[in-house]
Amino acid sequence: MIGRIAVAVVAVVTLALPALLDDSALAVYILLGLAAMVTVGVSLLMGYAGQVSLGQGAFYGIGAYTAALLALGGVPPLAGLVAAPVVAAVSALVIGTPLLRLRGHHLAFATLAVQLILLSVAGQLEFTGGDIGLQGIPQFGVGSWEAGGAAAYAYLTWGGLALVMLVTRNVITSRPGRALRALATSETAAASSGIPVGRYKLVVFALSAAFAGLAGGIYCFYTGYVAPGSFPVLISIQYIVMAVVGGLGTIWGAVVGAAAITLLVQGLDGLATLPGMPSYAPTVLSYAVYALVLIGMVLFMPQGLVPALTRRRRRLNTRA
Amino acid sequence: MSAFLTYLLNGLAVGCAIALIASGLVVIHRVTGVVNFAQGTFAVVAGLCVSSLLGLGIPHGVSELAAVTVAAFAGLLAGVAAIGRRGTTPLSSLIVTLGVGVLAYAVEIVLWGDQPRSAPGLAGSVTLAGARVQTQHLLVIGVTAATFVLLALFFGRTYLGKALTACASNPYAARVVGIDVRRMGLLAFALGGLLGGLAGVLVTPLRPISFDTDVTLIVNGFAAAVFGALTRPVVTLAGALLLGVAETMAAGYGYGSHQLEVALGLMIVVMIVQASRRSTLSQEVT
Repeated sequence: MIGRIAVAVVAVVTLALPALLDDSALAVYILLGLAAMVTVGVSLLMGYAGQVSLGQGAFYGIGAYTAALLALGGVPPLAGLVAAPVVAAVSALVIGTPLLRLRGHHLAFATLAVQLILLSVAGQLEFTGGDIGLQGIPQFGVGSWEAGGAAAYAYLTWGGLALVMLVTRNVITSRPGRALRALATSETAAASSGIPVGRYKLVVFALSAAFAGLAGGIYCFYTGYVAPGSFPVLISIQYIVMAVVGGLGTIWGAVVGAAAITLLVQGLDGLATLPGMPSYAPTVLSYAVYALVLIGMVLFMPQGLVPALTRRRRRLNTRA
Repeated sequence: MSAFLTYLLNGLAVGCAIALIASGLVVIHRVTGVVNFAQGTFAVVAGLCVSSLLGLGIPHGVSELAAVTVAAFAGLLAGVAAIGRRGTTPLSSLIVTLGVGVLAYAVEIVLWGDQPRSAPGLAGSVTLAGARVQTQHLLVIGVTAATFVLLALFFGRTYLGKALTACASNPYAARVVGIDVRRMGLLAFALGGLLGGLAGVLVTPLRPISFDTDVTLIVNGFAAAVFGALTRPVVTLAGALLLGVAETMAAGYGYGSHQLEVALGLMIVVMIVQASRRSTLSQEVT
C-alpha cells in the first residue's frame, strides 16, 4: 500500500517537474533520466545476470548514431527512435554471442575493448563523420508535431524511463527472472536444473543494450549532435558507479543511484565554477566524486543505498 | 630490409614496455587473484613524475629512481584500497581498482594539468646492421631483459619471493605455514606499482604521456597478460613482444590508424579460445 502511494507521488512529481524547471535545470533533468535508463540495464545485467559490462557506453553510442544517421537520411524521427534500441540490441546479440563465453574480469575487459574499438572505428569512417561527428540532426517529432522545447524532451525521456522500468520489472518477476538470479549464483547449478544459461545471458545482454540504445536515440535528438567524444570510456564507468550506489539488481536503486550521482556532480559543478576556483576544478571534482563514491560504496555498503535503506526501515518497523 | 629491422627493434621496445606493465598485472593477479585496473595508472604517475623532476634540474638516474619509488608507493596505496578490507571478493576489488584509477585522474590533473608531457631520454641513435635505432629503444629492451632476469631470481631464489609464490599457489596452505597472506598481497601490489612505474619512466621519452594514457596502457598490458592466462610470466613476455611488434609493423606499413583494433581484436580472440578450453565449474570453484 505504502509502495503504491510512493509510486503515485513519484509519478506526479515527475510529470509536474518539467513545467516548473527552467532550461538549465531541465537539461540536468533530461540527462538524469537518460543516465537512469542506461543504469537500469546495467543493474539488471550486473545484479541479476551477474555479468560486468564496462562497455555499456558503446550501446548508448550505437543508439545515438543509428537515430542520427536515419534522421539525417530523411527517415521520420519516430522510426529512427524505434530503430535505435533495435539496432543496439541486435549488435549486442552479435557481439555477445562470442563475448559472453567470458566471465568476470575477462568479460569486463572484453566489453571495454569493444567500446574502444567502436569509438576508434566511428572516428575514422566517412559516413559517421569521423572525429567531428554528425551535426544538424533534426528535432524529434511525430507527424506534423515537432518537439520544440526542452520540456518535450523531458517528457519523452521520463516516458522512456517508465517503459524501461516496467519491462525490467516484468522480466524480474517472471520465470526467466528467477532463472537469471539462479545463474548469477552458479552457472553450473543453474544449467543442471535445466536453465538455458547461454541463451538467457545473451537475452539480458541484448535487453540492457536496447535500454542504452533508446537513451542514446533520445540523446541525439535532444542535443542535435553526436561525436565519438560524446561516449568516452568514463561514461561506462559512470553507469557502473550509479548502479553500485543505488544497489545492484534493484530497479529503483538504478534511478536513485543515477539521481544521487547526477545531482552530486551538478552541485559540485556549481561549487567549482564559483569565482576564484581554478579552471580544472569541475573535471577534478567530478572524477574525485566518481572515484570516492565507487570505492566507498563497494567497500562499506556493497548492497547499495536502496536495499540498505529498506532493511533499516524494516528493522525499525519490527522494533516498533 | 633495414626498414623491417628498424620496425622490428622499435616493436620489441614497445613490446618490452607492455611486458613490464603486464608482468605487474601478473604478479598482482597471481598473489591476490585481483586484476588491477589501475596498473596503467602507475606508469602514468611515474612518467609524469620523471618529467617534473627532470624539469626541476634533478639529474638522470635520481629522477627515474624517485619516480619509480613514487609508483611503488602508489601501488601500495591501491593495494590497501583493493584488498585492505577483509572479505572483498576479487570482482569487487577490480571495481575498487577502477575507482583508484579514476581518483588518480583527479590527482594527476591537479598536479600536472591535462596536457601531455614528455621527458628527455637517451639522445642519439645507433646503426645496427644498416638499421637506425634510437638509443632509448635499446635502453628499454635492455632494462626489461634485466628486470625479467631479476624477477626470475627473486621468485625462484629468495625467501620472500618463495613466500609470494606460496600465496599464489595455495593461500590456505601458505597461511598454515605462517605466511601473512594479506601482507604478501600488499607487497605484490607494491611490486606491481614498481614494474608499472619502470614502464612509465622508460616510455615517457618515446611518446608523451597524459593522465588518460592509462587506458591504452592497461588494455595493452591486459592483452599481453591474457596470453599467459594472467599467471605465466614468460608467456606474457612473449605475448607482449608479439603485440608490440605487430602494432609497430601495422603502423610502419601504413595501417597506423588500426593498431589499437589489432591489439584489442587479438586479445578478445585469445580470451575466447582460452575460455572455450576451460570448464565452467573450474572457474566457479576458484
